[in-house]
Amino acid sequence: MAKLGFKIWLMLIAIVLALLMISPSFEKGVQISYLPQNSTAYEQGLRTGDIITSIDSDTVTNLQDYTEVISSKFPTGENIKLKITTKDNEFILFTNQTPEIVVQNIPTSRIQTGLDLRGGSRALVKADKPLNAQELTDLIAVTSSRLNVYGLSDIVIRPVSDLSGNNYMLVEIAGSTPKELENLIAKQGKFEAKIGNETVFEGGNKDVTYVSRSGQQSGIYSCDTYQEGEICKFRFAISLSEEAAERHAQITDALDINSTNPEYLSEQLELYLDDKLVDALYISKDLKGRTTTQISISGSGAGPTRNEAIEVAEANMKELQTVLITGSLPFKLEVVKLDTISPLLGEKFIKSILIAGLAAIIAVAIIVFLRYRKLNLSLAVLLTAFSEVLIILGIAALIKWNLDLPSIAGIIATIGTGVDQQIVVLDESRSSKQYSMKERIKRALFIIFGAYFTTLFSMIPLYWAGAGLLKGFAVTTIIGISAGVFITRPAFAEIVKRIIKD
Amino acid sequence: MAETEQQIKKQNWYDKNYKKLLILPLALLILSIAYIGIFYSQNGDFVRKDVSLTGGTTITVFGENAINIENLRNSLSAEISDFSIRELSDLRSGKQEAVIIESPEDSASLRPILEGILGYELTDKNSSIEFTGSSLSSDFYKQLLYAVLLSFSFMALVVFFIFGGYWKVKMSSVILTLLPIILFFSGAISINVAIISNILVLVFNFIFYLKYSIPSVAVVISAFADIIMTLALVDLIGIKISSAGLIAFLMLIGYSVDTDIMLTTRLLKRKESEINTRLYNAFKTGMTMTISSIVAVGVALIFTYTFSEILKQIFTILLIGLGFDLFNTWITNASILKWFLEKKD
Repeated sequence: MAKLGFKIWLMLIAIVLALLMISPSFEKGVQISYLPQNSTAYEQGLRTGDIITSIDSDTVTNLQDYTEVISSKFPTGENIKLKITTKDNEFILFTNQTPEIVVQNIPTSRIQTGLDLRGGSRALVKADKPLNAQELTDLIAVTSSRLNVYGLSDIVIRPVSDLSGNNYMLVEIAGSTPKELENLIAKQGKFEAKIGNETVFEGGNKDVTYVSRSGQQSGIYSCDTYQEGEICKFRFAISLSEEAAERHAQITDALDINSTNPEYLSEQLELYLDDKLVDALYISKDLKGRTTTQISISGSGAGPTRNEAIEVAEANMKELQTVLITGSLPFKLEVVKLDTISPLLGEKFIKSILIAGLAAIIAVAIIVFLRYRKLNLSLAVLLTAFSEVLIILGIAALIKWNLDLPSIAGIIATIGTGVDQQIVVLDESRSSKQYSMKERIKRALFIIFGAYFTTLFSMIPLYWAGAGLLKGFAVTTIIGISAGVFITRPAFAEIVKRIIKD
Repeated sequence: MAETEQQIKKQNWYDKNYKKLLILPLALLILSIAYIGIFYSQNGDFVRKDVSLTGGTTITVFGENAINIENLRNSLSAEISDFSIRELSDLRSGKQEAVIIESPEDSASLRPILEGILGYELTDKNSSIEFTGSSLSSDFYKQLLYAVLLSFSFMALVVFFIFGGYWKVKMSSVILTLLPIILFFSGAISINVAIISNILVLVFNFIFYLKYSIPSVAVVISAFADIIMTLALVDLIGIKISSAGLIAFLMLIGYSVDTDIMLTTRLLKRKESEINTRLYNAFKTGMTMTISSIVAVGVALIFTYTFSEILKQIFTILLIGLGFDLFNTWITNASILKWFLEKKD
């Protein structure tokens, strides 16, 4: 065995390590991807990452099974007993509501795919002025709390910059996307409550100390027919800071009683979101001059049917709650790129790419066979190309690189140049017999290193261009050609040396 | 090595005519540059850009029911003036897989229009929507152009390092190339100035090396010709370039240089046999390299044709480029090198 030589051993070790990194999984079940900490399931001991294998007596092998089982049991009027079996344990829940568990199919390997393959949304957001590091951090904090209000779980928000030094915020959401995404991340979120021209309070925790998002003080309370459709009203309670309550007292103190409607004061409390009037509330005459910290905020939503009106009203309510909690941003935002990729295309896509890659490599092996008329040389080329793909995937899994389309294009480019270089090795090693094999291989490696450095350096600029959205191409190419030059090519040369000697 | 009479005849013909052969690539290069020039004067740019580079929206609709393209086109033209529709269908069955609508409109306006025409809501279950704002896309385009330019410059530098003349010459060309990049990254100059400076440096280095290293110049010329000829043909057949399409040009630089480096090394750094024998051996190796690349890319193109616009474009451009690379490596680069070596002897 030791006769294999150091170079071939190195390649074999690299392949084994790559396989370990990729660690393909054939487990059945679904994995919990999100679980709120205040949920019943969490209290019972279930955790994110647990693998659910059955519910009650039904086996769960994939996402579809899980959805079917759960939707057959909920909604239900009374508490039912739910036995959730995970890989290592059993949990019993008593509940009448759909458990707040978000699950996904068990990843088949540690390779992570990009949004353009997996499905999801990606937004690139730019402010109307250059942001410094602190402002960008604030923006990201506000955005993530806004998205949290919507209960989105699998979100990545990070700053990116491009070649010209522009700063952006990149928001990536895996899986399905709320329709309001664009509003949610692009709105400045300026909330003002005004009486006349005077601002009583603004969104953000300076003025608003608490926003009720559940319970009796929050929700839709009435729906009516209105013109052609329905209109639904919502309200929710908030608490004001002492300072804001004081302001409320001063301003209302100066108001008169409404002449036509003597129960209320003469001016209304007007609610503005991003300078647009959302609602106007009558102020009860009892509140005149009072420092009140409890205020009820209201609004409405309309739609052609009651259900749609409820949906719109709920969305509006969430939006208002969000800006009241997070406050406004000191700059305007523009969504400069927004991609929503369907998760349904991904699987089919990956399958087709695998087939295409396989077909291409086999076609190359055939060409090599036609030229050299030696089956084992052909197989060696095939083997080397496959091990290169494995090593790239392994390293990608190790550095948790998300493989997106540009990354896949990079892998293809690498295989192409890799095969080219193998042909150089083949021809050099069969060339003029007046030199030793060692010398011939050395010559082949000279050409290969030349080609390596030209490709390596030409990839570097892509790292920054276009806010790094095409970075994947450079990353996989650099990984691939480096693995090629330092691991697979020397091993291939060694293999060829042995084949030709025979 | 036994050579047949025919081979000797061929070689005699080649020895007599290799300089004249250079007229072919030269003519084609001039023609390509002229065409790109005319194209630029008519379209205001070197390439037809798709919405990922001009700003706009691409909506891919798929689902159970096939969409009637003609009806969709008619209904859409009543609402917006500027749009294009393409259809992806299964290669074997011809069944419609998806319909792609592209328009400079933003997604917030295009989406409801399309939903109105189709009569159903577009969700992530039946569609993918990609929107690029026009401010981003113009930045994007410039940066990608700069990236391609820098890739080319770096490639040229490495080639100079391998085959070039004196150390002083090598170092000064590196410093010259890096200078605009450093100034650009430190914020001292804008991207436009940086692009122009790097083009000037490239031209200057080129002239520099014309004096010190003809073989490097031959490699750089043939890579340049590959890109220009490919670009001309891409424009001619009407491909709309996306940001991913520009990547294909980067890949092309890598592929085209591989064979050139092999050829130059074999001819320049080996002394064991006659130039023509070395050239013939290099030709055999290079043909195998490029043909296997062409076959691989061609096969991949066939398999990805129906489901990915991005990969389809990358592979199409590569296929064109590899075709031109055969021509430029074995006529342009080989003839210049042979000329150089025979003159040296």
